[in-house]
Amino acid sequence: MARSFFPQMNPVTVKKLRRFRSIKRAFYSALILFFLVILSLFAELLVNSRAVVVWYDGALSFPTYSAVRTGADFGLDYQYEVNYRELQQLFQKQNQGNWLIMPPVPYNPYEQDFSAENSPPHPPSVAKKHYLGTDVSGRDILARLVYGFRIAIGFAFMTMFLCFLIGVSFGSMMGYYGGRFDIISQRFIEIWSMVPTLYVIMIMVSVIRPNFMLFVGINVLFGWIGMTWYMRTMTYREKSREYVLAAQAQGASTFRIIFHHILPNTMVMIVTLAPFAIVGNITQLTALDFLGLGLMPPTPSWGELLQQGKSNMEAYWILGSVVSAIVLVLTMVTFIGEGIREAFDPRQHTRYI
Amino acid sequence: MADSPLLQVEHLYHSFSVGNGFLKKQNTLQAVSDVSFSLAQGETLGIVGESGCGKSTLGRALLRLYQPTSGTIRFLGEDITHLTKKQMKRVRRKIQMVFQDPMESLNSRHTVYDILSEPFAIHKLGTTAERIKWVDELLTRVGLPTSSAALYPHEFSGGQRQRIGIARAIALQPDLLVCDEAVSALDVSVQAQVINLLLDLQEQMKLTIIFISHDLSVVKHISDRIAVMYLGRFVELAPAEELYHSPQHPYTKALISAIPVADPKRKMKRIVLQGDVPSPMHPPSGCPFHPRCPYAAESCKVTAQHLAALDSDAIRFAACDRIKLINN
Repeated sequence: MARSFFPQMNPVTVKKLRRFRSIKRAFYSALILFFLVILSLFAELLVNSRAVVVWYDGALSFPTYSAVRTGADFGLDYQYEVNYRELQQLFQKQNQGNWLIMPPVPYNPYEQDFSAENSPPHPPSVAKKHYLGTDVSGRDILARLVYGFRIAIGFAFMTMFLCFLIGVSFGSMMGYYGGRFDIISQRFIEIWSMVPTLYVIMIMVSVIRPNFMLFVGINVLFGWIGMTWYMRTMTYREKSREYVLAAQAQGASTFRIIFHHILPNTMVMIVTLAPFAIVGNITQLTALDFLGLGLMPPTPSWGELLQQGKSNMEAYWILGSVVSAIVLVLTMVTFIGEGIREAFDPRQHTRYI
Repeated sequence: MADSPLLQVEHLYHSFSVGNGFLKKQNTLQAVSDVSFSLAQGETLGIVGESGCGKSTLGRALLRLYQPTSGTIRFLGEDITHLTKKQMKRVRRKIQMVFQDPMESLNSRHTVYDILSEPFAIHKLGTTAERIKWVDELLTRVGLPTSSAALYPHEFSGGQRQRIGIARAIALQPDLLVCDEAVSALDVSVQAQVINLLLDLQEQMKLTIIFISHDLSVVKHISDRIAVMYLGRFVELAPAEELYHSPQHPYTKALISAIPVADPKRKMKRIVLQGDVPSPMHPPSGCPFHPRCPYAAESCKVTAQHLAALDSDAIRFAACDRIKLINN
């Protein structure tokens, strides 16, 4: 009987997941994207101006996650943060057994590299380890792409989560209670959805200059509406089924009926909509950043890179890399969305009697 | 009949409003009208009628799944018609329901364990270990292997699913079980098994059962008394045997004559009713059965009929004041 503690997955769900796996491009897109997201969580170890490991005077240290260490800590004559790239060359020259390992891309997304004679943007160069070149301010493009990806994905997931949380709760309440509550809420939503979202976001952003969380909040303010339509309809349909009546006859609370009984039955739709919501959110963020009305500079951002690329067409590597990155990521997410839609298609799994 | 009835229903009405536009006129559909009966502990009352006659609505109104428009429901002497949701929760432990289609009434996203332990979770009874034990007991009781707990409803056959539905209904050891077309969706052979299960459980747990069905032979098999419904009203209420042997109300006569008998030699005089069931939104005046009644008189179009005792012992009731005339 121990099995009932950990009931195995619903066989229908297992079937759906198998089917998703059999849709190759969706499955591999999911794998790659998952891998990229995991990698981006450790971006500090891969793309950073701080060394990963330092061996100095017989002691190991990991500057990535430790406090700032000044030049003086390493016997140099300055009090600001040590330049690990120069320190690495110094260690090699001194040859006293000290060493350090730099990340594969030894630049952070904020620092400006003016070391070359001519002014930036610099074209890609393996020797200088600017694998995708630098932007107009001399910042490494790969570094900005990686950190920009992390921010964009973080933004997309967080916005989606909050939008779905509000949209699902509100939508299912509308569907479940019906009647006057439903009518009044729907009118409110209709009015609210008439607000020209993009303009209002632009105005709000230029007035309050938001940080990341506030920016997510502003986008959620207008993003939750779409979900309520779907949830309302689904709940309305599920509500009239007998299992809801059975739960009521048991004395179940409204909360329990909505979240324990109805929600699992609408999960398919929520899961199917999620990838498309993510695509939408990434596009939204990129568009706003492109217009300079997104996250505050110097936050690494794809939209801002796009803007630079557009203004500096001769520096083809800027536009080239950011457009490829956007196209790749959005295509993969769309493939995943398609795959989920295909795999979870109720026509594949429902028997109509 | 015992002196204090388990359930006492007085003049119960339930109507639905149809069409809820701002400017449209609202129509009311009288699904249950003027139903009164009382039910002794351990008794089985069968309710039969054509589809759309209000049987299910009556069953749901008894559980307060629908709020009755008027009338009172007394359970163990307590008026439960206007209890709040919170107060009702206590009563719900004692009145449970078995639904028609187990595929619909069991949540397909939940395992059997989830389904059967939910009554305990809702009423906050027992620890997890106890609940597991209780679910095992319930499964054994309804004749399913305990290993079913980890499975999902769609992995069972129709009859097994209905057993799960019954197990859920008896989980809290109710006094009253309302079976709404509980076997109508099943094969005939499976019907018999499920009915026998219900009868066994009734004996073991001293259950009182209200058995709603359109199938006269099933109802006859299980019920002590039978109520015949027509357009939301009880037209006849009598002990099962007597109802079948000597139906009194013209509608009951027609119903009984329509039961197929497995005897090719037997000649049956079948009463075929004319016309359709009138729309419950615009019920006929007077006796609702008069447009189809072969014995209807002019007075039937005017006088409303109420359930009245036919004998001095108040065992048989019928809603027709011309019964004596008709049957002589």
